[in-house]
Amino acid sequence: MFDRRLVRSFDFPLLLSVFAIVLLSLLIISSATMDSLAGDPFFVKRQVIWFLISFAALLVVINIDYTQFYRVTHYLYGLNLLLLLAVFFLGREGGGAQRWIDLGFFNLQPSEFAKLFIIISLARHLAAREGNFASIFSVIPTFLHVSLPMGMIFLQPNLGTALVFIAIMFGMLFMAGAKARHLLLYVVGSLVVGLPLLWQVLKDYQRMRLISFINPERDALSGAFQQIQSVIAVGSGGVWGKGLFAEGTQSSLSFTPEPHTDFIFSVLAEQIGFAGSVVLILLYVFLLSRVIRIAAQAKDTFGTLICSGVASMLLFQVFINIGITIGVMPVTGLPLPFMSYGGSALLMNMMSIGLVLNVGMRRHRLMF
Amino acid sequence: MNRSLQRRLRVFSGLVVLLALLLTARLAWLQIYNFEYYRASAEDNRQRQLPIAAPRGEIFAADGELLAANRPGFAVSLLDFDVRDGETISYLAELLAMDEEYIRERVRGERFRSFAPIQIAGNVSPEVVAKLEERRLDLPGVIIETQLVREYVHGSLAAHVLGYVGPISRRQIEEMQAQGIFYRGTDAIGQAGVEFVWEQTLRGQEGTLLVEKNRFGRRTRVLAKEDPVPGNSIYLTLDARLQEIAEQALREVIENLVESGNTQAGRGSVVIIDPRSGAIRAMVSYPAYDPNTLAQNFKELAADRRNQPLRNKTIQDFHPVGSTFKMLPGIAALEEGLINEQSRVTCRGVATFFNGRQTSRCLKVHGALSIIPAIAQSCNIFFYEMGYRLGIDRLTSYAESFGFGSPTGLNDLSGEAAGSLNGRARLDFMPGNLMGASIGQGHEITALQMANFAAMLANGGTHFRPYLVQTAKNHLGELIFNAKPEVIRQLEYSEKNWDIIRQGMKNVTDFGGTAPSMRQLPVKVAGKTGTVEVSSLRYSHSTFVGYAPAEAPELAFYVIVENSLHRPGSSAVPVISQIIREYYSPASAAEQQ
Repeated sequence: MFDRRLVRSFDFPLLLSVFAIVLLSLLIISSATMDSLAGDPFFVKRQVIWFLISFAALLVVINIDYTQFYRVTHYLYGLNLLLLLAVFFLGREGGGAQRWIDLGFFNLQPSEFAKLFIIISLARHLAAREGNFASIFSVIPTFLHVSLPMGMIFLQPNLGTALVFIAIMFGMLFMAGAKARHLLLYVVGSLVVGLPLLWQVLKDYQRMRLISFINPERDALSGAFQQIQSVIAVGSGGVWGKGLFAEGTQSSLSFTPEPHTDFIFSVLAEQIGFAGSVVLILLYVFLLSRVIRIAAQAKDTFGTLICSGVASMLLFQVFINIGITIGVMPVTGLPLPFMSYGGSALLMNMMSIGLVLNVGMRRHRLMF
Repeated sequence: MNRSLQRRLRVFSGLVVLLALLLTARLAWLQIYNFEYYRASAEDNRQRQLPIAAPRGEIFAADGELLAANRPGFAVSLLDFDVRDGETISYLAELLAMDEEYIRERVRGERFRSFAPIQIAGNVSPEVVAKLEERRLDLPGVIIETQLVREYVHGSLAAHVLGYVGPISRRQIEEMQAQGIFYRGTDAIGQAGVEFVWEQTLRGQEGTLLVEKNRFGRRTRVLAKEDPVPGNSIYLTLDARLQEIAEQALREVIENLVESGNTQAGRGSVVIIDPRSGAIRAMVSYPAYDPNTLAQNFKELAADRRNQPLRNKTIQDFHPVGSTFKMLPGIAALEEGLINEQSRVTCRGVATFFNGRQTSRCLKVHGALSIIPAIAQSCNIFFYEMGYRLGIDRLTSYAESFGFGSPTGLNDLSGEAAGSLNGRARLDFMPGNLMGASIGQGHEITALQMANFAAMLANGGTHFRPYLVQTAKNHLGELIFNAKPEVIRQLEYSEKNWDIIRQGMKNVTDFGGTAPSMRQLPVKVAGKTGTVEVSSLRYSHSTFVGYAPAEAPELAFYVIVENSLHRPGSSAVPVISQIIREYYSPASAAEQQ
């Protein structure tokens, strides 16, 4: 099915590290959910099915030469906007926000796929501008390119994912050759101007989360409760943890919030301790190093930027998500890539890895 | 690949490593350096110490009759952690017919004590429990606990002796804390009677249940359990049968008085003690109350100022005792050698003392009579003469020898009054008081002091400390306390003089005595009638003091029926007659076997 050279260039270690993380994920999801469902492996089963679907999608993605995407980025950008727009009309409310489209068999979360679309379209956008970043204003068109889909996600509202867009954008801009000091200036500037503005736009629950992050003891029962309980769970795990499926853990007694989704790291850290946490972090570091390696080896800027975008996205999500569970970041709803329960996110993450593998496989320019 | 990209990728890789190190450092800080702290927090989170109430010790009568027991009831409690919204509290307030603010106050007051549930209402009806159960899911944090409720098996029987338990007050908690005894705000504590005095014996030791709970406060597992130690049981000296007979006898007589139109009657006392030990066999204060329904009726009972049902009149009230006192000047005069068995005094119905300045009267003209008939016929003139010859100082001194003017020493109940003697200690004392003092007027004497007086006459001058608690046993049935008769005072009077007085008392209940009807009782009673003038009223108290059987005394007693009509015929005599008749009737005794 594949060209032998393609198979030889295939980055198996990257795929294996993803498998390892997913395997760990299934273990923790079952440990976190079996107790409250009295032994019903509902979530594990669903996540396994999602993994199989995602893996199939990955295979599809690596089969299409990524350079083919270069030509259709405009369509992808448009499709992205359409899907995000559809959320406003067909979306389902969840947690005070409109994020999902109910497709019957599952809830599609267009904002997850929007990340992938923006990585591809931004890669082309920046590849075309390579070497033209001397002026501080040279990055403005890129901001505009990103701000349209990002703004729509922000209005859902989904602050976490909107922030991922910013991370992707800055990561890719940096890799494309934008000057670091310009980017830094924009970050500082937008913080000074943007934060007060942002405060006005934020919903009440988002403000509460920020307040409770700054002063967690203020109201231990509402906003910061999740985070305090999560930190307690992590800390009480110790070096080796309380064991998988252990009785009387913070998660089995429902103290840990969202134990199988956003706070899955908290469950992991409690049950398999510092040792397990470090293993997971090392897996992520390894995974990212492979993605960066492929970025370095890519045959064209488009490929390099795609990998940079994926790496930025994963790094940001991993750091923010774990940071939330261990109390160094304010609570924003962000899943932990490959770990958190959830179909859309896993599908999107697998597809983005597929894209990176794709770039890696086709790093050699055609010899004939 | 250009160098610029290589540099940028290196920067990016550096960022990945830096952030990974940051997370790892934070994890090490939480999971290694502060592990103990978070471990403890997690334990705190999941563990809740629940007190297990210890069953209170039971109270039995001497004959083994169960008087105070425990029965299961329901209590509604809140787990503060969960109850934050006002809706739950308002619903509870409505259902329990309680003040919403009171519940909030209760929760606030108990908040810091522990994670133990805060009891809002005890002894809740099954209907309310059913309603709460129906809405259980809407009422998180509201829990229904089973709880032992004190039950007084025979209702009002011996109510004043047993006392009652009630919710502890904040002041009581502090007082107990000062003694190093820990109580919870939801605890019940003995508030009166033996329940109050013997609280620490009856109470028992709280157990602890260490449970694991989830975030919603629901119990998931029991981690450890320390069983409570039940309180010790107490066996009283009270004879349940005698107590019941005495209560009924007094009640019937007083009810008859009230029915016959006496608007002042309604109070009375009976005390019966064993002259061989000081053990109290019956103690009746009329009217009584039912401690089972005390909480509901408390206001009404406390408001009854005329009959004071909550008051133990036998030890808290004192009265002049009238002619029942007359044995005292009698034995004093004999002991002092002022008279002997044959010495006669002539009663002309009236006599003057203090060189004619004081005129005293008798109800009858008795003619010349010696001490035995003087007691039997209750001649005032004879005892005026005895008092006059003794003088107030010797009269007071003898009265004190018999325990008048100070508490008899009963420690098993609180609040025993001392009373006082009509003597020089009184600020308004005048020489003429001597005459009234000689025949029992003007003194303040409790029913228990009089029963003790009777016992001392019966046993030849031994003042035993009266007591109500005979034994206490722990929950294993081991004896942990056994009361021994304690002699407080022993009078060394001549046996002959005791016999003379006793003969007079025996003659009271025979032809020619003041209570001839009592000669028909199954056992011979030695005693003395009394009538106490109550100033400015048409009414007088009817009293009787004595012991039985006359030859081998087992019971020494005193009866007072307050405000019986001033008319010939005693109200106290029917009371004691019925008690003796029933207690010693072969049928009744056989039934008891």
